[in-house]
Amino acid sequence: MSVMRYREAVRAAMTEEMERDDRVYLIGEEVGHYQGAYKVTEGMLDKFGEKRVIDTPITESGFTGISIGAAMVGLRPIVEYMTWNFSAVAFDQILNNAAKLRQMSGGQVHVPIVFRAPNGSAKQVGSQHSHSMEHFYAHVPGLKVVAPAFPADAKGLLKTAIRDDDPVLFMESETLYGIKGEVSDDPELMVPFGVANVVREGTDVTIVSWSRMVHVSLEAAAALENEGISAEVIDVRSLRPLDEETIVRSVQKTHRAVVAYEGWPYGGVGAEIVDRIQRLAFDELDAPVLRVTTLDYPMPYNARLEAFVIPQSPRVVTAAKSVLYR
Amino acid sequence: MAKVLDLPKLSPTMEEGQIAKWHKNEGDAVGVDDLLAEVETDKATMEYRSFDKGTLLKILAPAGAVVRLGEPVAILGSPGEDISGLAGGAGAGAAAGAAKGEGKAAPAAPVEQPAQGAEGKGEQAGEPAQGAEAKGNQAALQAQGTEAKGNQAALQAQGTEAKGNQAALPAQGTGAKGGQAAEPAQGDGAEGSPDEEGGAQQGSVGPTGRIKASPYVRKTARDQGLDLTGVAGSGPGGRIIARDLANAAAPAARAASPAATAQAPGSAPAARAPSPTPSPSAPGVLAEPEVRPLSMMRKAIARRLTESKQTVPHFYLTIDVDADALHTLREQINADALAALGEGAPKVSFNDLIVKACAIGLRRVPECNAQFTSDALLIHRRVDISVAVSVAEGLMTPVVRDADTKSVLQISAEVRDLAGRAKAKKLRPEEMQNGTFSISNLGMFGIDEFAAVINPPEGAILAVGQVRREPVIKGDAVVPGRKLAMTLSCDHRVIDGAVGATFLRALRQILEHPTQILVQ
Repeated sequence: MSVMRYREAVRAAMTEEMERDDRVYLIGEEVGHYQGAYKVTEGMLDKFGEKRVIDTPITESGFTGISIGAAMVGLRPIVEYMTWNFSAVAFDQILNNAAKLRQMSGGQVHVPIVFRAPNGSAKQVGSQHSHSMEHFYAHVPGLKVVAPAFPADAKGLLKTAIRDDDPVLFMESETLYGIKGEVSDDPELMVPFGVANVVREGTDVTIVSWSRMVHVSLEAAAALENEGISAEVIDVRSLRPLDEETIVRSVQKTHRAVVAYEGWPYGGVGAEIVDRIQRLAFDELDAPVLRVTTLDYPMPYNARLEAFVIPQSPRVVTAAKSVLYR
Repeated sequence: MAKVLDLPKLSPTMEEGQIAKWHKNEGDAVGVDDLLAEVETDKATMEYRSFDKGTLLKILAPAGAVVRLGEPVAILGSPGEDISGLAGGAGAGAAAGAAKGEGKAAPAAPVEQPAQGAEGKGEQAGEPAQGAEAKGNQAALQAQGTEAKGNQAALQAQGTEAKGNQAALPAQGTGAKGGQAAEPAQGDGAEGSPDEEGGAQQGSVGPTGRIKASPYVRKTARDQGLDLTGVAGSGPGGRIIARDLANAAAPAARAASPAATAQAPGSAPAARAPSPTPSPSAPGVLAEPEVRPLSMMRKAIARRLTESKQTVPHFYLTIDVDADALHTLREQINADALAALGEGAPKVSFNDLIVKACAIGLRRVPECNAQFTSDALLIHRRVDISVAVSVAEGLMTPVVRDADTKSVLQISAEVRDLAGRAKAKKLRPEEMQNGTFSISNLGMFGIDEFAAVINPPEGAILAVGQVRREPVIKGDAVVPGRKLAMTLSCDHRVIDGAVGATFLRALRQILEHPTQILVQ
């Protein structure tokens, strides 16, 4: 076990996998000489050389398409976007090539590729750079989407992603890169997809969350505890595939659920989770499931407005009390 | 002109009915006296026939629905008629739900179904409004970019956003904020239906008779056999939520474990009365009981017999009759009938003979054929004997009218007919009412003797056991004989001990000299 930051855990996963398998390479804007826009790839160019740590021009569509092609013929690319917002430029490649080639080729072609980048809000990066892109991608059959909240999960899930034979979208967070946590040094310790983690046990209300919002939900749970409310917090970790069993089991215990995440309220992964809960645990519900989301606006730049639009723990607390009719 | 059909009184004692089956579908033409539906009342399954003709436009109470007297069950009118107003006026959930999109449905329809129906709509209705606010906000943000004051404007916009936020957050019925846009029902434009707001209400039954309860509460009620009727709901719109159930169940739970409450306050909290029959499979875990919902009949039995035993001062008199002569008479009647009519000849039972004997006895002691009222004792001039009949869901008491004037054969045929129709739930209410005296016979089950609960407003009930073979003293000799024990339960407000005893003496005299049964 070592204590490391989230960005170091992501780097450790890539480094270990690149050492283990020389088909794995890293490509993206400023991943090499600049040592990563968020210093995630610091030192990797020195370690692996320019052939395996490749700086690209500002051409997301191009290096995404090239890497999908490389994956089709046997390499295992890790494609880093500076943020997930810029993947929009490569959306067609991800949607129509990465996600579909396996099915359209009748299983003859696999696309073992990982796309990774920070996702969601940061600090005043404006409306074009604050998207929660997991909702767009989790919609697509053929894509797997994971969004770890802790360094240990970041490492374990990224290793699983790199070893997966199909496209995986790996959602990090600019605001989580600096957090520390215990991370296993075992190069074979993987975190499987489709397994949620109960990060805090409770009896009165279930708060389902992922990525940065897990930390906000834990903050809310602590505040709720002061008011005598015992909240269970679930970090789903993997958005697709989704571990509905863990969620349902929790709701069977608490009978009330709140889904707290970044992203607009219309549709999205949170709405999907609400659907699972109402469908699979209908008889267990004592109140309608509520969602705490980013408000339904393009993200404001003004710091106070931004803080208002991004879901914060008091809103999670309010929602949890609402489902408890308090 | 369409009209709302209310549930009529199909039996004199019914207070509610359960729609067993609709015989007309929506859109069907209905003629006068056409069978509309069958309704299960406290007594029987009754036919509900139409008093009007027209077209069945809308069924408001589907099969299975429990409807109170006078509540709407359907709408009758001309084909294609607009019934949205009526449906709303009737507070009819289904109709209001169907009238969606017409915008004027149900000015104040605090019912469950429209709320559900409107849920999706409410959200959508909420969205554009919110979108509009978003635009306003954007405008504010743009302004902010160009003007110094813009920032303030933008911050002011927060005030309106805050509202939008509450609308966006599906913070249903926090109640604290007045639940603006919280309950989706209001998204429909149904203005201020104050009874939608939280606050405990007595019971949570909407106008359609549907109880508002969370799914979890419903499941718990099903599993534990709880009746939600009358449970006050503290959720939005009076919804029964888990904590209401806990409050409602607490007294029962306390009553169920007197040992626990009787413990000294200082005793160890873990100490529990040891279970007398520990579950063999899982120690400490009680097997779930099978839950059988109360039928209308079971509810009626529970209500009436509880009322009887709690409000009528019962006392009991028992006699043991020499049944030799009665037995001989019955054998002879049945043998003669067989000889005369061959196989298939009607047989007479002990019970038929006893019904007739009682009728004669009540003529002789009319004080036992009586009823208590708060003003006076009513001594009946008719002898109408209720005969308890066991049926699948419970028991019924069809009445043999004027039993004193009918022959044993007539009584026998009538009892057989009534019992058969009772088991088929085809008795008419008037066939089960206005008895003056009851007989309950458990002899066929091998019961020697028992006491029955009086069937109000009657003044007495005779509980008849089996004819027993046993040694009896005849003259100075002990010989094989037959005995028949009966217990009369009397309403002491009407019948005193001596009066009851006088009747039983007369009854014994008749049964032991049973030719009277034939000639009177």
